[in-house]
Amino acid sequence: MSEHERMRREMDAVLRTPGAHPARSLRLTRRTFLHRSLLTGVAAGAASYGWFPLINTIDLAYGAEAPFKFAWLSDTHLYPKEVNTRFVEKTVRAAKEIQAMDPPADFLIFGGDIAQLGDPVELDLGNELLKEVTIKKVFIPGEHDWYLDMGEKWRALFGDANWTFDHKGVRFVGLDTISRAPDYWTAKGMSPQERMAHMSVLDGTVAGAWAGVGKDQLEWLTSALSDWDKAKPVVIFSHNPLYEVYPPWNFWVRDWRDVVAVLQPYTNVTNIHGHVHQPLYNEIGTMRSIGMLATSWPWPYPPTGVPALTQPMIRADPGDHFDGVGWSGLTVTEKDRVDTEYYIWGRTEPLAVAEADSGTSDNVNQRLSARIADNQWPY
Amino acid sequence: MDIRRSTLHQLLAGVAFLGLLAIVGPAPAGEVDLSDAVQLAHKKPHTAEQLKAFNDVFMEEVRKGDLLFHGDGATQEAMGVKLSATGMACAMCHPMSADIHPYEFPKFQEQIGKFATLRDMINWCIEKPNQGEKIESDSEAMKALEAYMYWSTKGSALDPGRH
Repeated sequence: MSEHERMRREMDAVLRTPGAHPARSLRLTRRTFLHRSLLTGVAAGAASYGWFPLINTIDLAYGAEAPFKFAWLSDTHLYPKEVNTRFVEKTVRAAKEIQAMDPPADFLIFGGDIAQLGDPVELDLGNELLKEVTIKKVFIPGEHDWYLDMGEKWRALFGDANWTFDHKGVRFVGLDTISRAPDYWTAKGMSPQERMAHMSVLDGTVAGAWAGVGKDQLEWLTSALSDWDKAKPVVIFSHNPLYEVYPPWNFWVRDWRDVVAVLQPYTNVTNIHGHVHQPLYNEIGTMRSIGMLATSWPWPYPPTGVPALTQPMIRADPGDHFDGVGWSGLTVTEKDRVDTEYYIWGRTEPLAVAEADSGTSDNVNQRLSARIADNQWPY
Repeated sequence: MDIRRSTLHQLLAGVAFLGLLAIVGPAPAGEVDLSDAVQLAHKKPHTAEQLKAFNDVFMEEVRKGDLLFHGDGATQEAMGVKLSATGMACAMCHPMSADIHPYEFPKFQEQIGKFATLRDMINWCIEKPNQGEKIESDSEAMKALEAYMYWSTKGSALDPGRH
């Protein structure tokens, strides 16, 4: 057993106390339906190729408050328009579908990585494309948005990197899990472009396992929740998952144990996160975590760490850039429910049933090594 | 016996190494001249330096393959290839070579619609998702990419033909 595996098991033993789980009134279901955009225009052509939209839907509600929907979109990874037209095309499609939600969503949460290399041109493009969506929009940053100018342009466009608001009986929190990377650039005298380049490679070894919430933000989170009834629902949006899936790809935050400790008193906590570009589901203590799709491209499942509670996504077809990607609609019902529905552009059934169709079926035989070339100066 | 044999091996290795020096002259410090490798192949016991030199050749290919795989512009230019026209690099869908499963080739490859080698699939990915320019099947760039993929999935069991 590796040191990493040993630590993971130890933490599990400490944190997964018997009988501790998110309130059962919050439940996860998986349903599929054809999105209405399939019935019209461009999407009808897509349907004839067997493409169907992908949407993640979560129903969530508290007590007597009115039911509502909200939408999740993230990881559009936009380059300047002329460099990658497919990414633009998919962002436009998602924006149109979100705007067409019926009944309409109360708000859109954008979960980070709107840009690929933090270029102001890319951030402006994302902002422009999302003007299609006229409902309330809230944003949290991803690492791809940040490390060219350390978030300056992102903040100018989208505001604070963390925030909280209450909506129909639910406290929503936006967390910043990306801006507190340990400084790997100053000592090496890197240019902003070099700093960004290292950060933008998922399997890079120079930036390391950088994701984290940070002591200051943990204190902020503690105080942001202090006046909230511990039995009422809390939904936390973060770019990275608030638990440990696979640190080499930053499918985690390094201080997730502290996050879990802060959230422990609250019994209805749902963390919805991006970054992983794939459906993931886990429960730790009273917190559930749900991983969302990207519009840009799907990541493979990591070689280890995929939670046993996750039903993996189907294996995507790399020849179809609408496959394995999409966005999410979330519905809050009157029954304290969290219902998740994943829709993949290109699929009627987004989650794998048979092993041969699963994105993880080959992983038992897969050994992977970290790359080497980025650690050799000047790379 | 073992001790005697090993002493003999060392002696022969020393003689072979001196012989090599006599033929090709001293290699630069830290390097082993491999120009006579073909003539000498397996005919003399290998020295640690030779084995290291063989490995260095391999790891240099891995390094170049790693850079190509991660979209490094300078390496592509130096090797005369254009692997992508969209900003996408191999590593964006395959971090650490995940989900390539090079050890499962050759096999029937659905996307190509026929029995395919790893090199066929590399070119398919360059042309389709990356919208780049396919490379010669036995080119330096192809060998470097292949070296990187096999190296980074070292330890996975061979499973040719698996879907």
